[in-house]
Amino acid sequence: MRVIIDDLDRNAAAAVESRFDYAVAADGRYAPCQGCFGCWTKHPAECFMKDSLSQVCRIIGQADELVIVTKNLYGSYSADVKNVMDRAIGSSTPFSTYRDRQMHHTLRYGRHALRKVIVYGDITDAEKDTFRFTAERNAVNDGYDRSEVLFISDISELEDVL
Amino acid sequence: MKTVFINCSPRKNFCASAYFLFLQRLFTRGKKVTERLHTQADVQRILPQLKDAEAAVFCLPLYVDGVPSHVLRFMEQLESYSKENGLHLKIYCIANNGFIEGKQNEPLMQVFENFCTRSGNEWCGGVGIGGGVMLNVTRIVFMVQAAQFVIYSLINLFNTGDPFPLSLVKSFAENTLFILFLNLGCLFYLVRMGHHISRRTSADKRYTRIMVPSFIFIVFADIFFLIVSVINGGVFRGWFAKKQPNNKNE
Repeated sequence: MRVIIDDLDRNAAAAVESRFDYAVAADGRYAPCQGCFGCWTKHPAECFMKDSLSQVCRIIGQADELVIVTKNLYGSYSADVKNVMDRAIGSSTPFSTYRDRQMHHTLRYGRHALRKVIVYGDITDAEKDTFRFTAERNAVNDGYDRSEVLFISDISELEDVL
Repeated sequence: MKTVFINCSPRKNFCASAYFLFLQRLFTRGKKVTERLHTQADVQRILPQLKDAEAAVFCLPLYVDGVPSHVLRFMEQLESYSKENGLHLKIYCIANNGFIEGKQNEPLMQVFENFCTRSGNEWCGGVGIGGGVMLNVTRIVFMVQAAQFVIYSLINLFNTGDPFPLSLVKSFAENTLFILFLNLGCLFYLVRMGHHISRRTSADKRYTRIMVPSFIFIVFADIFFLIVSVINGGVFRGWFAKKQPNNKNE
């Protein structure tokens, strides 16, 4: 299954999202994670907050290929995209294991093939380094076999790199 | 010489960030103000506090290898506010994560450094703490033990006239020293950073962890989540199940 998370303008997003099996619109119309661990310990793979992200971990967890389109924010995902990621930790379990010689959570849905991050917006070299490093860590954390980070200077280039 | 300490944890009670913030306050001199960042109302209260401050200490948990989304939103607002008001704050950061390796906080630290470059504030470093949840548990265990010590002392006082028999003091001291040992790394680096915050100098980035071997920590972390999941009922609701979405549009 190919899944996309994007913070694109809703008008621009439609054409891009139609190329995927499932699209998560990072439009900011949801609450931030409360850090309660309820999606691990109370209602597994489900968030107690009943908004558009309450079961998003079940979608992201089953992605063979995950594409994230995000505006740069200090070398991090935009707040709206990061909000989606924070609310999706139920795709793992509370149990721990070692991956890449560091402690991580075991994966509820098993390993994935490709995690691709496409970053747009003004970005410095230091922020690019941070983004590459973060995406690499995310790929290990979420059990991806391959990780790619691409930087585009203008959103019109998006079609070429999807 | 005002320092604003910002607890960025979304959790209301007994969060690890509050524990580390409490310790950092203890080791910092000068005028101190503590704020909690959770809602937009908090943002409107915190920004004016920063106007006449020299330093800000962010204390936050690591979420998915990075800064939690509600903190990123605040940072965007703080960037605008800093530029409008000509702020040149010295920014320090205490990040904690549930995994044992404090080094896993490195991406978060880099984001704060990049934020400072963009916003005109000064990045002064931070402490990344591994095993933050478990260290917070040791804090709670210590509080329970201290309460027990007081209760047993009172009982002994009424029964024997001696409130502090040697066995009671020895047992309490042993347990306290053990908890102190587990916290040694984070105490050392928070004392060190407190020195830098007080002097307004750069502390650079340092990483530490709970003082137990990783293979033991991982067992205790699993036991911890097992107990919490039994209490909360998650174990009986498809704890490891590959659950399907109820509704594709959800």
